[in-house]
Amino acid sequence: MNKIVYGLILGGILGIFDGLTAWFTPAVRSQLLMIVVGSTIKGIIAGVLIGFFAKKVNSLPLGILFGLAVGLALAFAVAAMPDPTGNHYYFQIMLPGGLVGLIVGYATQRYGSSIAPARTQS
Amino acid sequence: MEDTKIGGPGGTFPATRWSAIVAARSTDSAERARALQTVVEAYWKPIYKYVRIRWNKSNEDAKDLTQEFFSRLIEKNYLDDFDPSKARLRTFLRVCVDHFLANEAKAATRLKRGGAAEHISLDFDAAETELQRTGRSFIGGASPESMDDFLEKEFLRSLFGLSLESLRRFCEAHGKQTHFRLFEIHDVEDSGTKRPTYADLAKQFGIGTTDVTNYLAFARREFRRISLEKLREMTATEDEFRREARALLGVVPE
Amino acid sequence: MSWLSDDAIFRLQTATALPDLSATRYRIVERIASGGMGTVYLAEDSVLGRRVALKILDVPDTSGELAARLLREAKILARLEHPGIIPVHGAGTLADGRVFYAMKLVEGQRLDELVSRGESLPHRLRLFQRVCDAVAFAHARKILHRDLKPENIMVGPFGEVLVMDWGIAKSLRGGGSLDAAMEPNEGSLARDTSDSAITAHGAILGTPGYMAPEQERGEVGSLDERSDVYSLGAILQYLLKTGLDSSANAPRPLAAIARKAMASNPADRYTSAGELGLDVARYLDGLPVSAYPENIWRRAARWAVRYRVAIVLVLTYLIIRALLLLWFRR
Repeated sequence: MNKIVYGLILGGILGIFDGLTAWFTPAVRSQLLMIVVGSTIKGIIAGVLIGFFAKKVNSLPLGILFGLAVGLALAFAVAAMPDPTGNHYYFQIMLPGGLVGLIVGYATQRYGSSIAPARTQS
Repeated sequence: MEDTKIGGPGGTFPATRWSAIVAARSTDSAERARALQTVVEAYWKPIYKYVRIRWNKSNEDAKDLTQEFFSRLIEKNYLDDFDPSKARLRTFLRVCVDHFLANEAKAATRLKRGGAAEHISLDFDAAETELQRTGRSFIGGASPESMDDFLEKEFLRSLFGLSLESLRRFCEAHGKQTHFRLFEIHDVEDSGTKRPTYADLAKQFGIGTTDVTNYLAFARREFRRISLEKLREMTATEDEFRREARALLGVVPE
Repeated sequence: MSWLSDDAIFRLQTATALPDLSATRYRIVERIASGGMGTVYLAEDSVLGRRVALKILDVPDTSGELAARLLREAKILARLEHPGIIPVHGAGTLADGRVFYAMKLVEGQRLDELVSRGESLPHRLRLFQRVCDAVAFAHARKILHRDLKPENIMVGPFGEVLVMDWGIAKSLRGGGSLDAAMEPNEGSLARDTSDSAITAHGAILGTPGYMAPEQERGEVGSLDERSDVYSLGAILQYLLKTGLDSSANAPRPLAAIARKAMASNPADRYTSAGELGLDVARYLDGLPVSAYPENIWRRAARWAVRYRVAIVLVLTYLIIRALLLLWFRR
């Protein structure tokens, strides 16, 4: 599996979980579905970007930093939008977002293939 | 790279192989005589030594018994009963000798000298000297396997001895006495702890070291050819020959 | 006639046995091994300055059949240029009439020696894959080995694998002068003192325990690539059982692969060495193998093993997330 696909899948899965944890915040529970969808898309986008970076740059520290930065940036873009009551949840959104980016950054540097796939196909 | 040549340097196969064992059963009396002479020539010494140390006979008795045995072998065509697929010729002869001697022990009659064996000069004194040199003593209780080993060793000694003589005559006929002498010094003679090096030999004979290498190679090649020819004469089939060649050349397949 | 001492006899035996390489570019260093067809010597190539192995026929053979057989072996090797097959450098006849061929000197261990000292299962399987690759290459050139076994596989110090001893190899093609030269004269092959079995017809078969049932029955004409596949399966089984923890059974997919390769009916086996090697590769990659059908649970377990890293990362994320949530709520 190449790094971009690996990042996409991992980012997507983490995005789903990320979105689901919004259930623990009662104030936004009513918008859970939208949050999950949005979070998943955010995770996928982050995963693709980080995976692409990992394909081009082979450096674990840089990969992690890039992942963190992308995760934080995308999470910031979401957190900048206030909820219907006008509240922002910068901390609650950016912290896990950054964490997702960090994990995906690590995973895409260490795993996934940056060359053409081997002869065995699943 | 050398071209592939099958069949040896001559490029031809001998049409038939001459085997003394097979020829010993020939209806042609001259052929039989020649064959049996070959067998006696190769085996008389091992058999003499065997009689001495296995049956503990004195050298005089052993001399008479050996000659008598070979006379009987010739007169009564013992070799007609030999089957190479069942046993080695050495084992067959050993068993024949044992039977012969067991019967002789029973009969009290004095031996008379055999007729046919007298055509070959059997230097029993030399054989006795050799026996003394090996330092072997009476081994009457020894197992058949160790007796077979003993006979094999003696047969090889006899075979190599005959081959060496043939090689000497061959080299003399071809003006290669130096070749033979080098071979004799390097590969045959015992020289104590230090064997002569090629450089030593080169100096001794006033030739180059490369010449020593080439002369030795020639002599060894011819010695091998002669030994294998003689061995082939002593075997009845190609399979037996290959087995014997393997065993006697000291090559044991793993 | 002067007397010959025991030492003299030994020297003469050695002198007689040693091949005369004077007319060649090689110089003997030492004897390596003796086998049914001849003796292998370590020699020095005086032109290229490298060490080689020389396989030399032990005795000059008057009918020429042994010589022809040795040269046939050399020709087969010459035809099979593959990193997994021992390369041959040349062939010819010595001054004393003995036929020989020169090949690469392999410094390493036999596969059976290697596995008896340990070696992890994945490493063994990777070596096995390379053997399959080499055999598949030979099959593509229509050559059957017919005597595949761990003792005939050498592993070099850098993990290179070489399939050796093509002495009873057979060409599957018919017709053509080269291929005619490749055909063993099976009816007249001499009795071999190696441990290969011999039938009453005089045809050499292979090694018991590693040869296919049809080969054991002497059905020489019906042998094809699948006979070698059987032998490869036997080698795989050997790798799974030898030198590893005896209490642990072999992984089921691998046992199934070996069973399929060793099916009594050739039609039930892998059709080629390449197919067998591919299944082993799939196992190593965590993919399903053709010999072992999976139910949903086994497939899930295999996926879990294959993607265990990602699973650990997701779980790590969830744990951290849960801890953060608890921290926010306090």
